[in-house]
Amino acid sequence: MVLSKALESQVEDFISRLKRRQIVGSYEVAKETAIILRQVVSTTRWSDASVLVHVITDLGRRLVAAQPKELAVGNIVRRVLKIIREVVRGELETDDIMNSGTSEDSDGFSQDSEDDADSDREFKSILAQDTEDTDHTPRPEIPQRPKLQTESSMFNLLVDKNSEDIDYSAKSYNMKPLIIQEINEEIIADLETVYKGIADQALEHIHANEVIMTIGYSRTVKDFLTKAAAKRSFQVIVAETSPTLQGQAMAASLAEVGIETTVITDSAIHAVMSRVNKVVLGAHAVLANGGLVAVTGSQMVAAAAKHHTTPVLVCTALYKLSPLFPYDVDLFNVCVTPEHVLSFNEGTLIDKVNVLNPYYDFVAPELVNLFVHNLGSAPPSYVYRLINDNYDLEDTTL
Amino acid sequence: MIIVGPSHDTAQGGHQAAGGRKSLKDMTKAERRALQEQKVKEKQGRMAAGLPGSAKKASEQEAHKKVNSPKIGSTSNLAQPTAPDAGKQAKKQQNKLNEVPWLSHLDPPKKPNTASNTNRDLHPAILALGLRFAEHKMVGSNARCVAMLTIFAKIIRDHKPPSDASFSRHIQKYLDPHIAYLLSVRPMSLSMRECIRWLKKEISEIVEEDPPLTDEVARNRLVERIEHFIKERITMADTLIVENGMQKIQNGDVILTYAKSSVVEALLLEAKRSGYEFRVIVVDSRPMFEGKHLLRRLVSAGIECSYVLLSSLYVVLNTVTKVILGAHALLNNGAVYSRIGTAMVAMAASDKQIPVIVCCETYKFVNRTQVDSLVLNEMGNADELVKSSIPSNTNPLSNWRDLPNLRLLNLLYDVTPSKHITLVVTEVGLIPCTSAPVIWREYK
Repeated sequence: MVLSKALESQVEDFISRLKRRQIVGSYEVAKETAIILRQVVSTTRWSDASVLVHVITDLGRRLVAAQPKELAVGNIVRRVLKIIREVVRGELETDDIMNSGTSEDSDGFSQDSEDDADSDREFKSILAQDTEDTDHTPRPEIPQRPKLQTESSMFNLLVDKNSEDIDYSAKSYNMKPLIIQEINEEIIADLETVYKGIADQALEHIHANEVIMTIGYSRTVKDFLTKAAAKRSFQVIVAETSPTLQGQAMAASLAEVGIETTVITDSAIHAVMSRVNKVVLGAHAVLANGGLVAVTGSQMVAAAAKHHTTPVLVCTALYKLSPLFPYDVDLFNVCVTPEHVLSFNEGTLIDKVNVLNPYYDFVAPELVNLFVHNLGSAPPSYVYRLINDNYDLEDTTL
Repeated sequence: MIIVGPSHDTAQGGHQAAGGRKSLKDMTKAERRALQEQKVKEKQGRMAAGLPGSAKKASEQEAHKKVNSPKIGSTSNLAQPTAPDAGKQAKKQQNKLNEVPWLSHLDPPKKPNTASNTNRDLHPAILALGLRFAEHKMVGSNARCVAMLTIFAKIIRDHKPPSDASFSRHIQKYLDPHIAYLLSVRPMSLSMRECIRWLKKEISEIVEEDPPLTDEVARNRLVERIEHFIKERITMADTLIVENGMQKIQNGDVILTYAKSSVVEALLLEAKRSGYEFRVIVVDSRPMFEGKHLLRRLVSAGIECSYVLLSSLYVVLNTVTKVILGAHALLNNGAVYSRIGTAMVAMAASDKQIPVIVCCETYKFVNRTQVDSLVLNEMGNADELVKSSIPSNTNPLSNWRDLPNLRLLNLLYDVTPSKHITLVVTEVGLIPCTSAPVIWREYK
């Protein structure tokens, strides 16, 4: 499926910036992805949802391939896909109400993802038929995956599946504004409010006179602590996060809003941990098993906290939740220029030494006590559930 | 305080002298009286202003107040302008302001007092040594101990007792100000204190000798003992540790080490010379980058090396087969007192079931126990943290002293709990770290 020229160049620009790591950080990446996808929905010619799903999946695959370490790209693509699927189903419902009994010619379709293999295949074939009817250019079939047997909720276990079948007739002309509206409200507006959503819970987690340790620069954590500081007085210890020294920037901005802040070297984390009540970390991405990808040094902080049995809180927006599973944790890491570890000036030394400067760290789920997300908080063992709520299982692999 | 005997008071006195104030002992009676009166006046002034009685509390409260005031740099809103010593108080608060409250028991980094008149009676060699210690030109507990003992031997050799005293009786009194001076420029490492304890014991043995030794014999005996100590407990010990440590190195090993330890360096170089094939990962940390020196030597010896910062430790840990670390002191509860960050490396390795080997000479075994890293430690210069490894970037903390709520902490040591340490390599053999008190007793 071809995108319009203007959009294509915009996508190319975004891809090259992703590749060059000129755009880094989940928030920026997520926002830009959402805006591009919204444009795709509005400017691409499509007459039924399967075409749109196909276009978005294709584009999503390209964007993810451009920078596989920025998991937020894939997450937003999945969110958009889920919205499309929901709108299709939602519209089917309204259609059903409006034209009940007028669509005998179409096959059954269930609104629940748990229904049997037949109806899903039927759904797909209908979508395919529909596109043929409207004379679209031929396109490769959506690859058929083995049907996922899932229950979206325990209550559905008891529901009689056959009685839920709804007559289906795809009328897409009024789906477009609905989808765009949903993307605007559910994703883009949501991106703006996540910081507030997380910060609002700060008082539930921070008590007076607490000593909190954090590492790296995270706007989520900064807002969280700032909000708490408006009501309670506490101390923050920030590890400076060499070699990027993000922690120093974090400390400076926390001190500016009036929080008592102490900067320590990364090496002092273990030594100082005995004074710390709580560790608050930011995340780059949260994976399906409840582990997280975060700034380098985070695992060290979490491990030291574990040895001192200090609780570890992770502040993360829901769009950072990724349905990928960390079979190989190194896959989620990226090595950046070693210049800041061993300067290029030391030429005679540097060409004989293997210098590593990984940007991220993987923190295992057993080191985390709680994820504070924009709609509440959950332990790592519940993350898979949040992921199920946020993404459609069809889209786990783009 | 480990130092025993009459030197105790003097050492304390030296502390205060270094702080820029005259010690009470050195003042004349009139001066002391004046000081006392001044203090009383200050207290009355504070009481009148509704502040707590003690100077410390007052300045704390003042500092607290200032947290709320927007501009801390300007002196206009500091203290009461009516107070006679407002300027002095303001300065004191300014100094106190950026100090970490829960580490106020540690001495801030010291500046050596180079004013010539205060150090007139000291041997010039000790002044030179003191400067090198203070500026961290000479670091590493072995290097510092050897240098200190060598200088003491030199002082003892050069010392001429006054006509009314014998050498053996006077040398102790003569050495005390020198020790105090060293203490005043930089807190002593635990192993140095242990050395001084030993030296004092040697001196007292000379005094007790019956019949009394002649000056010349006593002097030679002391110098000889010191040289013997350096050779037996440090130089030879290192050779033996290397020999013992070699048992644990195998072909194909990937050895991780942190910062720089002279004995670990010797062990790795010796292993290379003996033809072992192994790889070394040097882990380093800001702001000292001591590992870089080690890296340079290992690379020039042809050892295959990787170099990472401490924050990336977990990324390289997967391939590591052994962790070899140095120590500043081995405490009697089996904990290792060492360069800051060592605890982290040992913890990470023991989490991953990688053996952690600590190389430590027995003279560094000290009769002290510590369960955290904060009770006894040393503060480095906080400004070191502001130095960026990226010269082009402006550091976000370059104006940290202007931010009233911001403190920078540069600790120098930490304590590794014994549970993270698999083995200690000493000159007397390979021991578990919990056997430290047993070895220490043997040498007492």
